[in-house]
Amino acid sequence: MDDWKPSPVKPFGARKKRSWYLTWKYKLTNQRALRRFCQTGAVLFLLVTVIVNIKLILDTRRAISEANEDPEPEQDYDEALGRLEPPRHRGSGPRRVLDVEVYSSRSKVYVAVDGTTVLEDEAREQGRGIHVIVLNQATGHVMAKRVFDTYSPHEDEAMVLFLNMVAPGRVLICTVKDEGSFHLKDTAKALLRSLGSQAGPALGWRDTWAFVGRKGGPVLGEKHSKSPALSSWGDPVLLKTDVPLSSAEEAECHWADTELNRRRRRFCSKVEGYGSVCSCKDPTPIEFSPDPLPDNKVLNVPVAVIAGNRPNYLYRMLRSLLSAQGVSPQMITVFIDGYYEEPMDVVALFGLRGIQHTPISIKNARVSQHYKASLTATFNLFPEAKFAVVLEEDLDIAVDFFSFLSQSIHLLEEDDSLYCISAWNDQGYEHTAEDPALLYRVETMPGLGWVLRKSLYKEELEPKWPTPEKLWDWDMWMRMPEQRRGRECIIPDVSRSYHFGIVGLNMNGYFHEAYFKKHKFNTVPGVQLRNVDSLKKEAYEVEVHRLLSEAEVLDHSKNPCEDSFLPDTEGHTYVAFIRMEKDDDFTTWTQLAKCLHIWDLDVRGNHRGLWRLFRKKNHFLVVGVPASPYSVKKPPSITPIFLEPPPKEEGAPGAAEQT
Amino acid sequence: MSRINKNVILALLTLTSSAFLLFQLYYYKHYLSAKNGAGLSKSKGSRIGFDSIQWRAVKKFIMLTSSQNVPVFLIDPLLLELINKNLEQVKNTSHGSTSGCNFFCVPRDFTAFALQYHLWKNEEGWFQIAENMGFQCLKIESKDPRLDGIDSLSGTEIPLHYICKLATHAIHLVVFHERSGNYLWHGHLRLKGHIDRKFIPFRKLQFGRYAGAFDRPELQQITVDGLEVLIPKDPAHFLEEVPHSRFIECRYKEARAFFQQYLDDNTVEAVAFRKRAKELLQLAARTLKKLGVRFWLSSGTCLGWYRQCSIIPYSKDVDLGIFIQDYKSNIISAFQDAGLPLKHKFGKVEDSLELSFQGKDDIKLDIFFFYEETDHMWNGGTQAKTGKKFKYLFPKFTLCWTEFVDMKVHVPCETIEYIEANYGKTWRTPVKTWDWKRSPPNVQPNGIWPVSEWDEVIQLY
Repeated sequence: MDDWKPSPVKPFGARKKRSWYLTWKYKLTNQRALRRFCQTGAVLFLLVTVIVNIKLILDTRRAISEANEDPEPEQDYDEALGRLEPPRHRGSGPRRVLDVEVYSSRSKVYVAVDGTTVLEDEAREQGRGIHVIVLNQATGHVMAKRVFDTYSPHEDEAMVLFLNMVAPGRVLICTVKDEGSFHLKDTAKALLRSLGSQAGPALGWRDTWAFVGRKGGPVLGEKHSKSPALSSWGDPVLLKTDVPLSSAEEAECHWADTELNRRRRRFCSKVEGYGSVCSCKDPTPIEFSPDPLPDNKVLNVPVAVIAGNRPNYLYRMLRSLLSAQGVSPQMITVFIDGYYEEPMDVVALFGLRGIQHTPISIKNARVSQHYKASLTATFNLFPEAKFAVVLEEDLDIAVDFFSFLSQSIHLLEEDDSLYCISAWNDQGYEHTAEDPALLYRVETMPGLGWVLRKSLYKEELEPKWPTPEKLWDWDMWMRMPEQRRGRECIIPDVSRSYHFGIVGLNMNGYFHEAYFKKHKFNTVPGVQLRNVDSLKKEAYEVEVHRLLSEAEVLDHSKNPCEDSFLPDTEGHTYVAFIRMEKDDDFTTWTQLAKCLHIWDLDVRGNHRGLWRLFRKKNHFLVVGVPASPYSVKKPPSITPIFLEPPPKEEGAPGAAEQT
Repeated sequence: MSRINKNVILALLTLTSSAFLLFQLYYYKHYLSAKNGAGLSKSKGSRIGFDSIQWRAVKKFIMLTSSQNVPVFLIDPLLLELINKNLEQVKNTSHGSTSGCNFFCVPRDFTAFALQYHLWKNEEGWFQIAENMGFQCLKIESKDPRLDGIDSLSGTEIPLHYICKLATHAIHLVVFHERSGNYLWHGHLRLKGHIDRKFIPFRKLQFGRYAGAFDRPELQQITVDGLEVLIPKDPAHFLEEVPHSRFIECRYKEARAFFQQYLDDNTVEAVAFRKRAKELLQLAARTLKKLGVRFWLSSGTCLGWYRQCSIIPYSKDVDLGIFIQDYKSNIISAFQDAGLPLKHKFGKVEDSLELSFQGKDDIKLDIFFFYEETDHMWNGGTQAKTGKKFKYLFPKFTLCWTEFVDMKVHVPCETIEYIEANYGKTWRTPVKTWDWKRSPPNVQPNGIWPVSEWDEVIQLY
């Protein structure tokens, strides 16, 4: 005990000084305490060393293991896909019941769900026919609202189409306003019978009818009142019924859990009437991945889709657009005129960018302001873009739409005398268009799928765009000489877009049937355009002169409206000369257009008094004499054809929509 | 005896272990220096230092972005600075032979990357995958300022910032959006209510305190510390931009309100004037940029921007400000070469310099040079007839970027003070008659030029 001399605790390193001091201090006081202290200190010290050592070993091991497993993130990624979304909440909760009221009468219909009015229509001269509402069977949300004017022809076909698309299990509500039976044909009646309706299939003239049922399931309520006489209506009926809600489980499909299906699920739980996109068993794809275009010149050109509240149109349009070769989805922006939800849902289904626009002004001016805002926004969002493609929601887009633009867009850069490139040929009907590789220059702006040059918009159009108080059509305004300033548009012979819209601002079924239905639409992929550079200003004149020199002059004594005006040949070029006194004298042309059943509401498709189209697979040129500079090609012996306009009585349809 | 032995053993043990510890300390010091001293360390072990959390986070992040095709490039000022200093060395080091972690292992809280939003093809799902890789991510979204200028549009919100945290290190992904005027813009990082304020120390972030604007950088691919990254081709230029990148948006809402009250002038003349003024401004901006001279919108042009986000159609000229220390003697000849002849020159470089150039169609470009005093700035005016001098005083200001007529230009950040100094509190009301000698509230007489100097300080063409 006595020989214990506290060793100078050297290893303490930094603490050295302090330990010396301590040693000295403790020597004077208590040796035992000192020994204790040294021992504890040493043990602690050992412990620390051990811990540091272990840590070092662990660190080294980790570094080594990391070096050895480079593909680690990929593994993580696979796992990631497996657990992207936690399993959905499966509790069914208390079963609820919806309280549904349906009213049908001559002048008013309404539907209320749990006290909330989801449909009310008492406007006069509107909303005639069968109103159909689809509710989600799990949530009670309105998924679709339609009215089919089954007093008019073909509307029942649309209704059959729609009802067939509705998923089984959904709650269907039908109610008649005014009259819904006149053109309700057997197919439609059979369908109503299959839904379990008693009165639907027997619906008579001016009957009132209210129906609630589950698609494929039981009828939940029905009321019907017969009209007593031809001149009067059935009594108003009010149907009140309870609709039991099913669990969310039953209302949804079990698609694989992918990003795409999450979009699909969100969409399908909100809206109805889009057919197989929501089919549980075999849903139609919502991603198309068309072939990329080699050397795509329009890959970075923004695409503005101008839309209103026609979500079914938008759906069809976007499908065709996203299926076109060379499309780049991130360049697409859909501009919706108004705060409508369903079009936004459609946009979200396809994973695109959607922008809503508070409506300004009314009617045509509203469309015009929507266009302006959309175009400005497009060039703001894509400041590097030199062009923008402008589309509308009621167009089908040809599979080679972008290929067509990619081959021709350099013309807009190189030729200042061009105003636009359009995918639409106003005069390209089934019987007047033939050659998908052929392009024209025309003095009119067709719209309906076209390319706008940024400099034209920013420097000329935007600063003087019609203000909201001017009720002008934007396209009519763009066609005015002050704007167009003698420039021309490039169009294909066979259109690359197809206008399918039947409802629209200036559009109705009759008008569509007469002017749009028989329009030719290219379905051939990858068409190689012919001789694109011959579309430039000077080159085109050479081309036209060559054509006219080759062309065989038709027999001008025959009636140009007769089919026999053109010989039954194929692949020939023919020319006819019509009377055209001045640059704006289109009397004979309009009559000719009328009897050829092409666009005759105003003058379209002309180039310096020349029209080019196809008849019976022959290229058919029409030259206005003497206004056209090509009149020099007229043989002296030929007298230009003159067609008398009919006496004015048949009020021609108003302003033609070409929006 | 046994007790002593025990003590001896204890002491021995302590000795050995402390020797061991010393060795470790030395080793650790070495290891730390390898991590810190970029370019200095001569460490031998090839994997030394690569287990730092910074490096690991960056590596994971780069793996993620390259597998998901997220177009990112490095903008972290600290790292760019280091890389810029050792650029040659970095370029010469081939991929395999990395010697030590010299850059990405530098201790820091964040690593900042930029995301080129317009090149990003598949945004969806990226976030989820990042989180599943171990990142904790935060996304900050806001409305799209590019739609703000247009009445009544409301779009999908755009992402402005992503912050992804891996253990203690966070990757700050700044989303760069393309704007009209050929520049990239990033948004202000605004913490909304539901965001966890303690997620990371937000105050220490290098980007996001304000919105920012940058020239679109050209990029280059380099291999740094075994990781392939894109960085600006000219890191020095980018680094210079960073401290002066603050961007302020035009006040579109107030401008709309202004036009509701005073109706926009859409006559042919007004449209034509705006077009000419815009072209003149663009020409002036190009010319000054070539010279490397900073300028900002001043007087009426600045008021037009601030009050109505457009050119005031009756203003008749375009006004720019330049700090006198940025003056270059070849300004006049550069403008003349650009097709803008000198109209008049008042003052001299030492005092009250003011240049005026004649644009096309009777539109004038006025350049005022600003002199800095301890507590204010001023520019001078000269009355040609009398040789009287005037002084226009402004409170001190700094420069910010903004977008005006499809251009990225400077304006005083403290715009309201600047405008109120120049036009008084009533600047909101349009005034068509303006006497530059009397109307401005900040004008002061400043004596008279000595007649002997008139030839130099009053030049009219």
